[in-house]
Amino acid sequence: MKKYQYLLAGTALGFALSVSLPAHASGNYEAGKAKSTPCAGCHGADGVSTVPSFPKLAGQNSDYLYHALKDYKAGKRKNPIMAGQVEALSDTDMQDLATFFSKQQGLYLKY
Amino acid sequence: MKTTTMTLCASVLLALAVPVQAAGDPKAGQLKTSMCAGCHGIPGWRTAYPSVYSVPKLGGQHADYIVAALKAYKEGERSHPSMKGIAGSLSEQDMEDLAAYYASSYSGPAN
Repeated sequence: MKKYQYLLAGTALGFALSVSLPAHASGNYEAGKAKSTPCAGCHGADGVSTVPSFPKLAGQNSDYLYHALKDYKAGKRKNPIMAGQVEALSDTDMQDLATFFSKQQGLYLKY
Repeated sequence: MKTTTMTLCASVLLALAVPVQAAGDPKAGQLKTSMCAGCHGIPGWRTAYPSVYSVPKLGGQHADYIVAALKAYKEGERSHPSMKGIAGSLSEQDMEDLAAYYASSYSGPAN
């Protein structure tokens, strides 16, 4: 009976964790780093842009970055510079870039 | 003459060195976050079905970029149902204040 309770508690904890943890795009960090050179010109080498009109990417949620890139590519989000940049990116490229920038130090959750 | 020249040089240097700040007030912005914090202030919060992804982190983001994003939502250039509604209810001063708050290190009155 006790064993069953532990099992139940473990399952509940696992479920709670899977719900609360942010979803991460399953990109490759090193591949993303290698592909990030064109981004650095505006967003900074580590995603900490020094130009106020260009957003910082460092530390941003990876699935948000991936979503933003996909929206630019689909034309749902419009920006002349970004439209050109994403044109040649594959789905894998976008996931890799999102993963790389999400793991840099910069943005933080602010209440 | 020498003093005048030096003053002039100092003024020019200062003007170059001080970054252009959005006209927002972080303290005023902090008082306007009630509509933002329910999503952007919750760790791991995600957007609603059908397009599910983590909402972006705002802490440390450039104020100019946040203002531009809010205006784009208000004007329909960027589409997201809740952000369109919320940005639509904000004045330009509200946007500047909120952006200044999220960009700054000010996190509210000490208690």
